[in-house]
Amino acid sequence: MKRYAYYLSCINESMTKEVDRSIDLWQKDLGIELVKLHEGTCCGGSNLDYVSPKHFALVNGRNIALAEKLGLDLIVSCNTCLMTIRSAKKKLDETPALKKEVNEILKKEGLEYRGTSEVRHLLWVLVDDVGLDTIRQKVKVPLKNYRIAPFYGCHILRPSTVLGHDNPLDPTSLDQLIEALGGQTIPYKHKNRCCGFHTLLVAEQESLNVAAEALQEAIQAKADFIVTPCPLCHTSLDGYQAKALKHAGVETSIPVFHISEMIGLALGYSPKQLGIKRHIVS
Amino acid sequence: MTVPIDQHLEEGKKDVTFRVFRFNPQVDSKSYFDDYTIPVERGITVLRSLNYIKEHIDASVSFRAFCQAGICGSCGMRINGLSKLACTTQVWDVLAKSREQGIIKVEPLRNLPLVKDLIVDMDPLVDKMKHYSNWIDSTMSEASMGKKEFLISEEEFLRYDKATDCILCASCVSECSILRANKEYVSPAVLLKSYRMNVDIRDAIHDQRLAELVKDHGVWDCTHCYRCQESCVKSIPIMDAIHGIREDAIESRGVKDTSGAKHAEAFMSDIEKKGKLVEATLPIRTNGVVWTLQNLLPMAVKMIMKRRTPPPPPLVKSAKGIKIFREMFREMTEHVKQDHKSHKK
Repeated sequence: MKRYAYYLSCINESMTKEVDRSIDLWQKDLGIELVKLHEGTCCGGSNLDYVSPKHFALVNGRNIALAEKLGLDLIVSCNTCLMTIRSAKKKLDETPALKKEVNEILKKEGLEYRGTSEVRHLLWVLVDDVGLDTIRQKVKVPLKNYRIAPFYGCHILRPSTVLGHDNPLDPTSLDQLIEALGGQTIPYKHKNRCCGFHTLLVAEQESLNVAAEALQEAIQAKADFIVTPCPLCHTSLDGYQAKALKHAGVETSIPVFHISEMIGLALGYSPKQLGIKRHIVS
Repeated sequence: MTVPIDQHLEEGKKDVTFRVFRFNPQVDSKSYFDDYTIPVERGITVLRSLNYIKEHIDASVSFRAFCQAGICGSCGMRINGLSKLACTTQVWDVLAKSREQGIIKVEPLRNLPLVKDLIVDMDPLVDKMKHYSNWIDSTMSEASMGKKEFLISEEEFLRYDKATDCILCASCVSECSILRANKEYVSPAVLLKSYRMNVDIRDAIHDQRLAELVKDHGVWDCTHCYRCQESCVKSIPIMDAIHGIREDAIESRGVKDTSGAKHAEAFMSDIEKKGKLVEATLPIRTNGVVWTLQNLLPMAVKMIMKRRTPPPPPLVKSAKGIKIFREMFREMTEHVKQDHKSHKK
């Protein structure tokens, strides 16, 4: 059983509770154990970095230090939390004065940011550590009748100087996971495009247009569902779907799954167990 | 083993098909693609190939180009779907990643009006640069000009050094997610230029420019997709500039100024209070009660039915060990205050 520290994303503790619930169901099946960091705090959601760069470094230096204390890599299942925490790590690793300043404060809690733990997306762990062969062997209900549109989202790909796992122009990790679970990926131009989430409250119409385009391509390609490694993309594409498609004059709909639910289905868990009924689009 | 010279040549040459976007508004009712297959040697760029096609096969193919050295920014176009300069893009590099073997698709930039074939109209971009005053309005008096030097320290120069690398090729404009959704949006290239002017100590219209940037279709509409930065042909960290303008806006105009600023600040205050984001009240804190009721009520009803609503503020559990976290957070606040004081000195 390989152990990892698990970062609790705010959205997975409120609107998309089904993500952590479904991961809890199957993590042991795939030989991994995720140790939840209940002391961890909000990463700042790609906003704190410009509101206050120093608080951003402190908060995320601390999030990583909590994992380092356990001697484990920090695993994240939200793209924006991933990008944000990795950006902070890069900043701390490249700026010794900032690292020193942060560590002076972290002393209070008996913590130290050393830079020894990697910050990785759950998808990367599944593909690189668990391995596609192991996943293939564990599948009980192959997703063989499904045409699946892989929506990677932005912050697992860009900026590539911070992320660097997949080629942002032609990512493959999610496609590989889908195929290992027996599903069929469809060619999907929007796979590396944006869902519009981050401006939903500030430039709503623009965000809805962005989401509608991604949804329409999947619908036109006759995908059975969209799958995403990011709960924020899920919220935009599922939660705001009706609004986005209505404005675009489209009358049909398309389900959107989290990767954790797709894996759960292939491993034989029921939609009810996985919390799929909590989605807005059924 | 030595390879005969002619075999080297054989390996160094390929027949390549350029699938070129065609549209002449004076003649065509809709756009189409023309295929031109030409022999291309290793080391040849997409621009040289297009020049060859124009000179030897079809003189009507239209594109804009000038310096052929990645300096003038004229030959921006989409090559196999990605916006970049034709003059610095090697045919063989593109072929190595082509989905369709031996074929390179060449299309005009997106998000700008099409003039003909691969040529787009840059005027909307220039108009936005004018609208956001993308120039230095000097603090030096007219009388002193030409008589006095403007000395800039290295530290001051480094603030905008990278931003000055922009050659206005519009690749970022073409790749922008928000511009695709609304052509009124300021656009990444204009935000980059605006940032470059706003951090220049010789400039006198910082406040005026910033006031325009925080309005609708301005800096707060960027959705952080990083496509601009990823496609920049000069590797400029464009998002740093966009975040730089936002940081400046919050610092010099306050957090209650615009919905964008209020939204961003909510993260800061929630983290300090609970260590967690209080999502339930985020729409109200960003846009007020009326907007929230008008825009989100139908969705909220659906969410309640699916038990998907975020918990109300009192039920958001604080992160474990929040007390000591808060102390540390506030200690950093003191550091920041100190920084600002010494910065002002």
